[in-house]
Amino acid sequence: MTFLLAAVIVAITLGVTFWASRRNTSASDFYVAGGRISAGQNGIAIAGDYMSAASFLGITGLIALNGYDGFMYSVGWFIAYLTVLFIVAEPLRNLGKYTLADMLVYRLKDPRVRTYAAISTIVVSAFYMIAQVVGAGSLISLLSGGVLTPSVAIPLVGVLMIIYVVVGGMLATTWVQIIKAVLLMFATIVMTVLILNAFGWSFSNLLGNVERLNGQEFLGAGVKYKNPIDLISLSLALVLGTAGLPHILVRFYTVPTAQDARKSVVWAMVLIGAFYVMTAFLGNAANVLVGREAIAAANAAGNMAAPLLAQELFGGAGTVGGEFGLAFVTAVAFATILAVVAGLTIAASTSFTHDIYKGVIRKGQATEREEFRVARLATVAVGIIAIGLGLLAQSQNVAFLVALAFAIAASSNLPVILFTLFWRKFNATGAIWGIVGGILTCLALIAVSPNIMGVDPPEKTTGRRPIQAQALFPLENPGIVSIPAGFAFAALGTLIGARRRRDEEDQAFEEMQFRAYTGAGVDGTVAAHD
Amino acid sequence: MTVSRLPSAAAPPHNPAYTQLVAERNRFTVIMTVTFLVLYFLLPILAGYNKPLMATKVFGNVTFGYVFAFAEFAMGWIMAAIYVVKARTFDRLAREATQ
Repeated sequence: MTFLLAAVIVAITLGVTFWASRRNTSASDFYVAGGRISAGQNGIAIAGDYMSAASFLGITGLIALNGYDGFMYSVGWFIAYLTVLFIVAEPLRNLGKYTLADMLVYRLKDPRVRTYAAISTIVVSAFYMIAQVVGAGSLISLLSGGVLTPSVAIPLVGVLMIIYVVVGGMLATTWVQIIKAVLLMFATIVMTVLILNAFGWSFSNLLGNVERLNGQEFLGAGVKYKNPIDLISLSLALVLGTAGLPHILVRFYTVPTAQDARKSVVWAMVLIGAFYVMTAFLGNAANVLVGREAIAAANAAGNMAAPLLAQELFGGAGTVGGEFGLAFVTAVAFATILAVVAGLTIAASTSFTHDIYKGVIRKGQATEREEFRVARLATVAVGIIAIGLGLLAQSQNVAFLVALAFAIAASSNLPVILFTLFWRKFNATGAIWGIVGGILTCLALIAVSPNIMGVDPPEKTTGRRPIQAQALFPLENPGIVSIPAGFAFAALGTLIGARRRRDEEDQAFEEMQFRAYTGAGVDGTVAAHD
Repeated sequence: MTVSRLPSAAAPPHNPAYTQLVAERNRFTVIMTVTFLVLYFLLPILAGYNKPLMATKVFGNVTFGYVFAFAEFAMGWIMAAIYVVKARTFDRLAREATQ
């Protein structure tokens, strides 16, 4: 039944993809659906892009296994949208064309910045994508009862996402994300209603059962995170990283105006917020109804908590309802992975084609048709690389790759975006230093952190850390050090580059600011209201 | 959608509406951002350094930790709503600034 439902979802999304293919005829269509997506559609698609399997399966599992600590991820990921809403969404829409590099180069007028911004986009997308692809592989293998091994499941997901993106471009990707977001919300709401019904419509009663089974510490913080600095560092990366994630930023270029960018973030916040609130019900109910032992037995990281909870809520193992619940939630998780991976693929291939191929290799001379062709070829290449890296990394722990993508985005992209928008003296040298310094600091700290370094007990045979030595950097997430470092590098580079400062840079800043604040120069913004 | 460059020879117009837009928008952004960051970081800080408070029951079995976390969601929605209302002023000033 799982396969049947998953096949139905794949069939529907492929149908949408071929429908979209008729309107996917230019580079602009491919990158940003011609900028024609409405604010409401875009908001649901942002939500669909964001509520990855790490959120739905990961957080439910974290709460089920660790109690309250898991729920703190939900809060951080939701609050991150305030950063996006207040600071980046509208100015980015006003300044950008297709990519983050477009916006930076518009102000800084230096082609080198384009290369570095593109590299940063590709690095962040790659870390995020490998994590999703590897997660997809182990998840599908788990859910199919081992019928599809990760070595089969990873290429399967990869090929499907290449088809979505190559054939349908951004329009199809957007609709795949919308379909997935609606399915995921529907599944989550139905499960929450069933949970409330089972516990007398009382959250207090649900928590009472958690306490009875696990002890009082499950209702408070500290089961998973013992070190407060680690928790604060993680929170920093979550709340600041979203505003630098390329696949989220690219979604602001798919709408016509800055007002639409704002509206889409608000839409996304309503959906994402409602979803993350419900994770508190799902996680705690999974703890009570399925039990920690059964969840951990299915998957040590807790990834099976939500599907097993659905099975329990719809009648239990062996019943028709229970099997349907399990199959439905499994199929939704599958759609979730496809949608998120498609969004990442489009961000990475857009950046490669538009910034590196057209902007740097062809010095802006490529024709629209040529660019469109290269964009599709780049998608196939990105997809094949993701499949390859996913297969290589399939036995590694993937949670740290996601947190690492957030930390890199917050340390390299965010300082450069903020300084570009608000700092008059900021220059191209500062942007390059900020991007390179932020990424390298982040990667270096991760390489000597407990994610990579540590002494595993000899009886542990799988998932051993690559470097068997005491970790040099104590925190799992480098955000608390690497984010200030990113800002410091960007500031330092600016001061060093200031000697070569030209007079027209002041004028460029004024012009950029005028457009960022008013939207002047973007058709359909201000003019439409006159 | 097409993006055209402003005529770069001419400096952007400096009118009262634009000056007011920049000042109001910057003030709003700074106040809101500082407010939400402070309120948000209270959560991981309390969770790290005051575990007994987080585990204190407020309503029935609902602990302070859950009440505070749900309040963060309410804060997020309220601040987004405030921004949506305030943005009408920004949109009006932006129209005036470009006329």
